[in-house]
Amino acid sequence: MKDCIDDSFNIYGEQINSRLLIGSALYPSPAIMAESIEASGSQIVTVSLRRQQSAAAGDDFWQLIKDTGLKILPNTAGCHSVKEAVTLAQMCREVFATDWIKLELIGDEYNLQPDPFALLEATKILLAEGFKVLPYCTDDLVLCQRLAQAGCEVLMPWGAPIGTGKGLLNQYNLKTIRERLPELTLIVDAGLGLPSHACQALEMGYDAVLLNSAIAGAGCPVTMSCAFKAAVEAGRFGYLAKAMPEKEVAAPSTPTMGMPFWHQNKI
Amino acid sequence: MSYKIAVIGFGLTGRLAALELSMLHQVTVFEAGDEQALDSAGRVAAAMLAPLAESVLCEQDLALMGLDSIARWPAILAQLDDEVFFQQQGTLVVAHQQDKGDLQSFAQRLKPLLGHQAHSLTSTHINELEPELSGRFNQGLYLPCEGQIDNQAFYQASYKTLQARGVSFEFGKTIDINSESIQGAFDYIIDCRGLGAKSVSCKLRGVRGEVARLYAPEVKLTRPIRLMHPRYPIYIAPKPKHEYVIGATEIESQDNGPATVRSTLELLSAAYTVHSGFAEARLLNIQTGLRPAFSDNRPQVSKQGKVISINGLYRHGYLLAPSLVADAVAKIE
Repeated sequence: MKDCIDDSFNIYGEQINSRLLIGSALYPSPAIMAESIEASGSQIVTVSLRRQQSAAAGDDFWQLIKDTGLKILPNTAGCHSVKEAVTLAQMCREVFATDWIKLELIGDEYNLQPDPFALLEATKILLAEGFKVLPYCTDDLVLCQRLAQAGCEVLMPWGAPIGTGKGLLNQYNLKTIRERLPELTLIVDAGLGLPSHACQALEMGYDAVLLNSAIAGAGCPVTMSCAFKAAVEAGRFGYLAKAMPEKEVAAPSTPTMGMPFWHQNKI
Repeated sequence: MSYKIAVIGFGLTGRLAALELSMLHQVTVFEAGDEQALDSAGRVAAAMLAPLAESVLCEQDLALMGLDSIARWPAILAQLDDEVFFQQQGTLVVAHQQDKGDLQSFAQRLKPLLGHQAHSLTSTHINELEPELSGRFNQGLYLPCEGQIDNQAFYQASYKTLQARGVSFEFGKTIDINSESIQGAFDYIIDCRGLGAKSVSCKLRGVRGEVARLYAPEVKLTRPIRLMHPRYPIYIAPKPKHEYVIGATEIESQDNGPATVRSTLELLSAAYTVHSGFAEARLLNIQTGLRPAFSDNRPQVSKQGKVISINGLYRHGYLLAPSLVADAVAKIE
């Protein structure tokens, strides 16, 4: 049990205890955002800079996020080209005084699918500039391997397209990535809708999940935040406890010996 | 009893407060800008009165306050010397086939408002309500209690009526509410400055919104239309003389600079997908406004000594202002 309590994972050498990373967009109000973030028990909050025009213009909102006291993971949401993403990452580093960057490069405007080619290119540039890059990628094994070879210590494959709430669409791919890249910190990012989706990702051995819409878009964001907190804990314990092997034949957990014979047939 | 009252800020709430108070009291309006109050969010807004649709995002008490406010608008407009367009023929909510999930989730999140509820529409119903949308949408919602007003006409008409009533105006003046010259000269001070009050209320923030105004004689829509879309939810509010207001972006930014290309593309292309007649529309302007908001996005009416403040109306100016101004005026003893 001690292992479970001391359990943590790391992001570029930093020990993190909460396995839920939370977003800061789309809440009904900043006040509900702050409450939801607190209820989630998260230690890391993502924030987007793309549309504020200037650092000063976004100050009031960012201050609300800084006030949460959480570690900030800025993202490049809304960028479509390598140049845009690199420039925005540099701006994020200044505004939030962190070299962490969630690198997001949109390839398809409609389902916001990441562009794997531009992502790899931008990742290499940013790593060379000293950034600690957390790329948001698809669940393609070869892409993940290339990102790892480039020097990423953390990868964030999607569960499903952003905001769809569909859960882990391709569990086979996600499991393969986990098995083939055992040393990396892996976080399922995007597409989750239900607490059970987060639980599944953790059961599968993923280190954490990152989500936003599933909480912000819920009828009661704060309650949903509590639900996800419990779900990642359940999933992680489930993974650590090593699940029993699945079997095709039923094995009764109560011995039938000693049971009256007229009951035995009913099992 | 008649008081000497200063109204600070000549945006939407300032105008409503001055209209209400000038019937009984001696009112002076102070405004940092000119009579158009170019920085006020209420001038840029689409002036939708949508308590049911907004209930998806705001608490139920605010949506109910919106219902109360709608009922107050006709009497407010009736006291003006010029006629101002007011309409309460409901809102139509539509989504393209691939975005029907967004329409369903919107429908699920509507809150019950005193028996007012949304009706599901088939393509036949849509055709009856808005014939020009027929064939384009085969599902939608009708929110019958909703409406809109022509805010530009309201801004002009309210100024004219207040002038006729003998209200004094001091334009181009930024004043210190707590200064002796103000506190000594007035019995009450109504602070309607919106973001202009940021220096004293540090919890206020601006939420940027961009709104396009089009002249579209080819388009014949008769009531506000909301388009549900995963990323570009817009509304189209038809105003008199073939004008349409397309809104609005919502960005957590204090930047009040001109609209960006991205926002313009989003607003206009989404409008074009609703009605192809917008392709040949004239783009009259694209304006930017900052909505004053507190961190819970709820408005506040408060009284401290002689000063009564109304602020934080966020995206619900026209929806809530009449009730909030009534609350504020009731604080005058």
